[in-house]
Amino acid sequence: MKTVAVIFGGRSAEHDVSIVTALSSIIKPLELTKQYRVIAVYITKDGRWFTGEKLKDIHLYQSSKLEEYLAQTKSTGVVFDHGLKLLVPTRVGRKEVAIDIVFPAMHGTYGEDGALMGLLDMAGVAYVGCGVAASAIAMDKVLAKQLAVANGIPVSMFLSFQKADITDDTVGVVTQITAKLKYPIFVKPAHLGSSIGITRVQNDTELTNALEVAAYYDNLIIVEEAVQNLIEVTLPIMGLANNPQPALLEKPLTAAEDFFDFDTKYLQGGKKGGGKKGGTTGSQGYSQIPAKLPKDIYAQAGHVGLAVYTAFGCSGTARVDMLIDSKAGKVYFNEMNPLPGSLYAHNWAQAGVSKVALVEKLIEYALVRYAERQKLATTFDTNFLKQF
Amino acid sequence: MRNIWQNVRTLYGIPRASALFVYMLQSVEYRAWPYLVWFWQTQQFGAVMHRRTLELTRAARFLRAGLFVGMLLQLAGGITLLYLGWHNLVTGGIWFGLALIMSYPLVWAHVVAVVSVVGQIAVIGPREARHIVLAERIFASHPGRRIAIAGSYGKTSMKELLVTVLGEGKKVAATPANQNVLSSHARFANSLVGDEDIVVVEFGEGKPGDVKRFTDVVHPTDAVITGIAAAHLDRYKTIVAAASDIFSVATDMPADHVYVNTEAEEAAAFMREGYQGYDRRGALGWRAQNISVDITGTRFELTKGTQTLRLASQLLGLHQVGPLAFAAALGLSMGLTEMQVVTGIGQTKPFEHRMQPYQLAGAWIIDDTYNGNLEGIRAGTELLASLEAKRKLYVTPGLVEQGDQTAAIHQTVGDLIAKSNPDVVVLMQNSATEHIQTGLTAAGYKGKVMVQTDPLDFYQHLDHFVAAGDVMLMQNDWTDNYR
Repeated sequence: MKTVAVIFGGRSAEHDVSIVTALSSIIKPLELTKQYRVIAVYITKDGRWFTGEKLKDIHLYQSSKLEEYLAQTKSTGVVFDHGLKLLVPTRVGRKEVAIDIVFPAMHGTYGEDGALMGLLDMAGVAYVGCGVAASAIAMDKVLAKQLAVANGIPVSMFLSFQKADITDDTVGVVTQITAKLKYPIFVKPAHLGSSIGITRVQNDTELTNALEVAAYYDNLIIVEEAVQNLIEVTLPIMGLANNPQPALLEKPLTAAEDFFDFDTKYLQGGKKGGGKKGGTTGSQGYSQIPAKLPKDIYAQAGHVGLAVYTAFGCSGTARVDMLIDSKAGKVYFNEMNPLPGSLYAHNWAQAGVSKVALVEKLIEYALVRYAERQKLATTFDTNFLKQF
Repeated sequence: MRNIWQNVRTLYGIPRASALFVYMLQSVEYRAWPYLVWFWQTQQFGAVMHRRTLELTRAARFLRAGLFVGMLLQLAGGITLLYLGWHNLVTGGIWFGLALIMSYPLVWAHVVAVVSVVGQIAVIGPREARHIVLAERIFASHPGRRIAIAGSYGKTSMKELLVTVLGEGKKVAATPANQNVLSSHARFANSLVGDEDIVVVEFGEGKPGDVKRFTDVVHPTDAVITGIAAAHLDRYKTIVAAASDIFSVATDMPADHVYVNTEAEEAAAFMREGYQGYDRRGALGWRAQNISVDITGTRFELTKGTQTLRLASQLLGLHQVGPLAFAAALGLSMGLTEMQVVTGIGQTKPFEHRMQPYQLAGAWIIDDTYNGNLEGIRAGTELLASLEAKRKLYVTPGLVEQGDQTAAIHQTVGDLIAKSNPDVVVLMQNSATEHIQTGLTAAGYKGKVMVQTDPLDFYQHLDHFVAAGDVMLMQNDWTDNYR
């Protein structure tokens, strides 16, 4: 029986979302397969690692008992020794547990941004989901758009600025923006997920404030022209980069002028402005699956989603967010999420993939990719040192 | 080591142990021998009370309180002896005291079995005997037709079917739920008013001679034999023995008042001249045709001469056509109008846990967990094979009480499952699993097989296993006393 470590929590603003992803959509389905020994690896907000059966229970996190539990439990160590090994505390010391596969369930910084994937690559262990490059690019909204543009994938008009540009000359930045982009405009920190620090602005005053807010969160800020006649859609995709399989195009049921901020997404259950009827409750609240769109637009969005998945070199699973100008009939790439919240299992279930089948497939992709990487030569013998 | 510690905690914790022993006794209907077998085969007492909890009936409360007090007294006696022995006031007090302390769970686990046996003989038996004598008089003098429903399977469904269809034009009374033994027949007799046109009584055989005993009390005017299959073979030993008992219901009644489901091959040997058969081809001279089945129900036409009835039921499966045709034909023969019969059949729907479809996460689940025999599995797998689905899943722990035919029957189960060709087969880890797997392999099944070690966990997380477009058939369920 293979051992799978599900890593969640972490030093991220999306720490709590990560717990839900791990517990609801990964650990339980993996256990139900009866194919794997599943170890819950919880990373605290201050970066300590813990393992234990109790960490699989959502009630631990919902109560005040978490701190008490962590205070009474020894943290877990990590060793790179022909793969990844956890040093799990026991009553008399620590025992080594070799990990065959890692299933990251981390959102945001130090997890979804490629940092964890780099660690796992260094350890030489198979892991689920996108690799370092795809994850890092996806978490950088500026790089992501530049990569899309380079691959001929349409994006809305955008500009980017360093924090220093804004703090040194806010007026100049505002002038540059208004010369090239038309209101309404979105101002976003380039590296944060879950809509944190994002503001939609209509005039110069709001723009100035929004730039300051975004600069508070990040050193790189992206400013985008809002797409008119907007329909937001998202497409979960899974598979290896050369054979991605889409789920169903999903349309969040928000008013056109709204966007999902963190509060709407996670704290109000996606019910900003009141959830409309006929939707499905997913990790992002009420949404329409599949999105009711004209056939050609639906197909176009599918093509854009798959093109992004391939261009970014995604693997395992990802979710591509797109913006549609419904009057112009044009689809724009907006963002790529290398670890969709709760794996977007609600969408996959409607597409005919159960939670158990979903995690099984993701593990399968991880093992295929790992086997392929093992075949690659990364070192070779030279006489360089002898000549030195 | 962990098991030992858990067993100590469970057995020596007096409140927990007293509830556990009564739960085990209750689960086997207060039969001492199966209880003792279960007790001695149990390795993890902490995991016994898993699927459900103790039902606090009067008897259960009485036994639990008795156990609690008994164990407490023995423990107190042990501690007292230990104390006295320690202070040299009683010779050997330490050893006797320790023996009492160590043995109290074991002693009282057996005492409760004895109490149960004595209670059955001294209290419950005589009381039931009095009720049964009274019931016999009520049934014998009842002016209505008394229809006995006997068979290895499908009894409760047939009873409900007759109540629903015949109830459209007649006053019908029937034994409630799946209460089908003498004591429940006696309670039912007491509830009869006397003006019922039809009285339907379900005969739940469990051991040789049961059906004869029921017949002697109920005095049925008509008998419906719903099918013969391997069931309760731990007591009957052979299907022939079970069939002989079931067919004993027909001994003293006119042959044309005996209706037999002839789809079960085993019934053929017991058919006598004049018995009336029914199956998916028709019943009582009516012919069933143009049959269609989907997840929403079963539709067919019933014709006789120039008469045609278009019937639609929410019951699922081709195997339901025979019973539906029979209920319709019997209704017509008893004077119901065609409209009443069509309406009655239209109101028939799956009973709880018997081929009962419901939707979950966009998938269809067919709950047939109350099924418990091979014919039910045959019908279920036939239904699964006929349904359209993106993915088909079949779930079963196997069948209980199959005696020395356990291996052969479960290999047949594997064969039937393989023939319905589901994408995924989910089995529950128990004594039947390897036989089903042998059957699957022998039949060349190439799909995926999952073996679940915790059935409750599986059933509680069904939504994790299915997705839109799936059809999952769940057949049979094992309670805690089966392993």
